[in-house]
Order: sequence, then C-alpha cells, then structure tokens
Amino acid sequence: MEIGITDQGGLQVVAISGEVDLSTSPKVRDALLGCISSGKGIIVDLSAVVYIDSSGVASLVEAFQTAKSRGLGFALAQVSETPLRVLKLARLDQVFVIHDTVEAATVAMA
Amino acid sequence: MSDQLELLVEMTRHFADTNDIEATMGRALERIAELMEAEGGALFILQGAGENERLECHASFGPVDIKGLSVPADKGIVGRSLMNNAPEIVRDAQNDPNFDTSMDAQSGFTTRSILCAPLSVKDERIGAIEVVNKTGGNGLFADDDIKLLEALAASAALAISNARMAGELAEKEVMRRELELAAEIQRGLLPPPGDGAFPISGVNRPARVVSGDFFDFFTLYDGRIAFTLADVSGKGMNAALLMAKTASLFRCLGKEDMRPGRLLQRINAEVCETSLRGMFVTMVAGIYDPSSGRLVLANAGHEPPLLHSTDDQFRALDATAPPVGIPPELTGGGPVPEEVLHLDGGALYIFTDGATEGYVAPGQELGADGFKGMVQSGVAAGLTAQARIDAIADSLSGSGEVLRDDITVLVIDDAKPLQNRLKRGDNGLSTEVERGSAMPRRDTPIEGSLCALTVPARASSLKLVRRAVSETSTACGFSQEQCQDLVLAVDEACQNVVRHAYGETSEGDMGIDIRSEGGSFVVLIRDYAPSVDVAKIKPRALDDVRPGGLGVHFIREVMDVVEHLPPPDGQGNLLRLKKAI
Repeated sequence: MEIGITDQGGLQVVAISGEVDLSTSPKVRDALLGCISSGKGIIVDLSAVVYIDSSGVASLVEAFQTAKSRGLGFALAQVSETPLRVLKLARLDQVFVIHDTVEAATVAMA
Repeated sequence: MSDQLELLVEMTRHFADTNDIEATMGRALERIAELMEAEGGALFILQGAGENERLECHASFGPVDIKGLSVPADKGIVGRSLMNNAPEIVRDAQNDPNFDTSMDAQSGFTTRSILCAPLSVKDERIGAIEVVNKTGGNGLFADDDIKLLEALAASAALAISNARMAGELAEKEVMRRELELAAEIQRGLLPPPGDGAFPISGVNRPARVVSGDFFDFFTLYDGRIAFTLADVSGKGMNAALLMAKTASLFRCLGKEDMRPGRLLQRINAEVCETSLRGMFVTMVAGIYDPSSGRLVLANAGHEPPLLHSTDDQFRALDATAPPVGIPPELTGGGPVPEEVLHLDGGALYIFTDGATEGYVAPGQELGADGFKGMVQSGVAAGLTAQARIDAIADSLSGSGEVLRDDITVLVIDDAKPLQNRLKRGDNGLSTEVERGSAMPRRDTPIEGSLCALTVPARASSLKLVRRAVSETSTACGFSQEQCQDLVLAVDEACQNVVRHAYGETSEGDMGIDIRSEGGSFVVLIRDYAPSVDVAKIKPRALDDVRPGGLGVHFIREVMDVVEHLPPPDGQGNLLRLKKAI
C-alpha cells in the first residue's frame, strides 16, 4: 500500500494504491487526518486501490467527518470497482461525495 | 555343653526367621541369662557415629528393666568391653573401686558381679551383652563363665548382623521396585511410537533406571505436529521428577500455545516459579507441518540440532536462548527466538549430549562427526528414521558397560511427507477444485477441505488469508464480484479474531479451513482465545455513520449462514461461514 499526496490549487489530492487492510489502514487514517489539519479540502483518489476492508472504510469515514466538522471539502474520486463494491455493501456510496475523475472533483470543489 | 549348643542353634534359627529383631534379641538375652544362671542381663546396641556414638539398651532381663537406657560408647564396663573388643568382668562389684554404685542406689538393685562380652563380627562393632549376679554358688562369675558368654555373644552378634543385612537387602529391594515403578511411569510419559508413516520418531535409553531426558510429540487439530526434546541437569530421581513436570507443562501449554518460542517462555516461567535451585533444563520445542515441510524451532540452551538435507549436507542449529530454569528477570524474559526451516524432504535430528558423548568403544566418544556418519550410513542403507536412531543408541549401549549419560534422539523426517506433497500436487487439490467448480458434490470431510492454513492472529497474516480465499473461491466457480465479497467477509471475520478475540495484549494462532461441502463454500475460522460472548456481536445500523463496526455487517451481507459453533475441544471460538456455490 502506498500513499501519494499532491497539492492542486488549494486542494490536496491523496492517491492511495494497493491493499488497504487492518495492517495498512492506520497509515491511511494518519495521512488523511494530517492533510485535514493543514486546512485544505481533500480529494481521495481510489483508482489504484485493489482491496479495502472495514478498517479502511472506517478511516475514510473518520476523515470525512473531521473535514466536515471543520467546513472543509472531502470527496472520493475514480473509485475502482473493488472499493466501490465495498462502499455499496456498507451503503456508504450514498454518503460519500464520489466523482468519476480527480479533475471533476477539483472543478466541483473549487 | 549340650545346652549351650542347643541355644546357639536355636538363636541362629530365630534370628534367621525373624521379622522383628528387637523381640528376637529380647528372647535370646533371656535364654543366655538363664544358661549363665544370671539374675539379670542387658543387651546394648551401638547407635550413632563419631562423638555421638552411644550404647543403647535394646533388651533387658531381670528385676530392673533398663530398656531404652543409653550410655556413652567409650565409658563404663559395657563401653570398655566394646572398645577393646574383649570381655570385661567385675567379680565383686561392691568392693571394686571402678564400679559406679549410683545406679544401684537409684534402682534399689544390688549388683554383686558383672560379666560383659562384646557383640562384634569381624570389624563390625554391634554392641555388647552383659549379665549380672550369678544365682548359683557364691554369686560371683568365674573364668569359665567368661568363655561361655564370649561364645554366646559371638553367635548372637553374627545372628544380629545377618538379620540386619537381610533387612537392608529387603529395604534395597523395596527401593529398587519403587524406582522400577517410577521408570515405568516415566516411560509412560514418552509418546507411543507412531506407525511407519508417522514423520517423527524417538528413542530414549536411561543411564540409570530413571531418566532426566525426555521427548514428546503430538498432532494438533490442523495436522501440524508439536514436538520437544529436553535434558534435565543431573540423572537421578530429582532430574526425573523435574523431567516429569516439564513434560506435563509441554503437553498442557503446547495445546493452547502453538508458538514454540512463546511456549518455552511460558514453561520457563512455570519452572522458575517452583523449581529447585540450580537445576535447569535444556529444551528444544517446535512445530512441524507435514503438508508443507515447514518447521518452526525454538532452542533454549540445548545442544544444536542437526538438519540433514537431501543433498547430504548437515547444518547445526545453535541455541538462541539460555536453558529453562534461568529466571526470566535475568534474561529479559522474552519469547525464545524462533527459526523457520523448510525440510524439503530432509530430516532434523535433535539429541542430548549423552548421544554424542557416549562411548562407542572404551574411552572413545561417538562425537558429532560419528553421529553424522551414523546418520549417513543409515540413510545409505535405506533404514527407516526409527531404525537409524535405534542404531545410534545401540552403538552406544552395545559395549555392555553402564551408560555414561541418558541417550535421547528425536528425528523429524520429511522424506515421506514430501512424497505425499508431490503426489497431491499432481492429482490432489487441483482435481478436487475442478470437480468442485464443475459439479459440487458432498465429499468425505477430508476431501471437502480445499485449503487449510494456520497463521498467527495478526494484521499482517490477513493478506495470506485473502489470497487463499480468493484462489479457492475462484476455483469453485464464483463470479469475480462474489469472490471479492467472500474475501472481504473472511477477512472481516479474521480481523475480529485479531482485534477482539485475542485483544491487544495476548496473541495466538488462528486456523482457517476453506471447504466445499454439499454445494456450498464453507469457511471455518478457529481461534484459541477466551470464548467471545456471541450475544454481544451485532451488526450496526447503517444510518449510524461512525468509523468502525462495519465488519460484522459485511460478513452477514455476503454470507448465507454465519454461525458460532462450540469448538471441538471446548476451547476458543469456532465460526462457520457458508455461501451456496
């Protein structure tokens, strides 16, 4: 599992790749909360995530709630098939803001 | 004179027959006193040693009973007689300056004449016999009486000595029988030999009746085999008892903690809590998986085991921790470091130093090289693993001399399991999976298992579990999406074991058995943690958007049946997940 963070005009894009499971989700959580503390809106790029479990989903939920409480934007982008299936199982596909591409998310959150 | 002979014969016979030397001594004294026409008599036996030597009266005859009275062994008439190994006579006590009249004053008895003879056989001093006051004649003993008492005392001494020796022999015989019983119980602690196909064999030859060495092995629920070999310092009964304790600890704790390093740590803690000071146990513990050839080994201060590979190379595996019995506070008390080996058809030999330091010929030790040589020649001769180690033990005990030390050898031979693995690789699992995907059918339980694995209950193990579920579910013909769901559900169930069953502080193993049963994909997840209260496990409401707690929901969403079953031996938790193929 790898995490890449890039700055795109006042927004942070957090690109996660690989498997997000019990052993790697704490790193995802730390990275997301770290970005939020910088005071910028966040786009989480899930295009390269091949697996995510409940602990990974929980990290996303926690980051989403934290961002919301600080009035920061939070969106998921390019959610690949596997994580989307998990979000659907949890009925969270209707809770998260999900965009097809990072660009679309950037436009929507500008 | 005929009376005298008759008495000698009678006394000898009585002492030979008796179970009660004291009573026999009393009767003998009485008969001697009668024959000597004495008014009274006493028989003294030497007790204690060195400065504490005393003469104690064991039989008394006459008007005053002095049984139990004891006098210094080097004083008085009796003491002198024994010390000089010669008779003493006081012809006329009342007129003899050496006679102490204070006793008479106390007892009210008037001593007129005393005759005393030593009881001794060769160099063994037994005691002395004395008679007082001749009833006939002038009431004084004469020179003839000295000879008679000497003769009677000599045969009494011989009779007492013989009876004592017989008693000691009987006592030794009792001890020997008790040792035999102890040895029998000890042999019962060793595992029964497996059939020819079982991959582990052992041999134990005690140097004395009981042994301070032991080995043990038993099969775990998932087919892996736990084994141990240990050497308790010393060879006597104390070593045997500590051996029994350690062996029991291995059996008990080995069934709940299948990590050899932690197991040795726990055994050490138990032994240190109660053990005798200065005794320790060098011990190897391990787990061997015949289905993969993987072996996890932990070595607490023991002689390095030898790994003999199929290309005839030997590798010595050094101890990674001090022996059991060294208090944890001195060593830091962590688990014994483990080493993971892949036998790949080779064999692991674990042995005590009695095997390498034993003599093959007078003064000539077998040595590590000799041991390796015997392993090689055994393999070359096509001997079974059991026959190979028996041959090593025979070479050390064949000379007929007493063994220098207990000899114990254990071998884990991966040759046959490797053959089985190769066979299964051709037509085992793959056929099973093909059959399962084409037409699910009910199979015997063993054929129903598609994949079984045991992993440490840690987050880092989950990847392997997912891989296993992914492969097997794909092979069973599930769609890609269904496979992903199954992977998620099993992952979540295993996470619960890692996070909730064992909790943060404890750790252990979990077993995952993926099966094809009657057209369903079944996953059994087993742990050894304290039982979880099933009623407390419930999926959360989905409108409650909080982090965490989604796992159970995922499992129930994906699987057709989720049930908590009683585990086979009542320990831990067993979860059964089922989804129709």
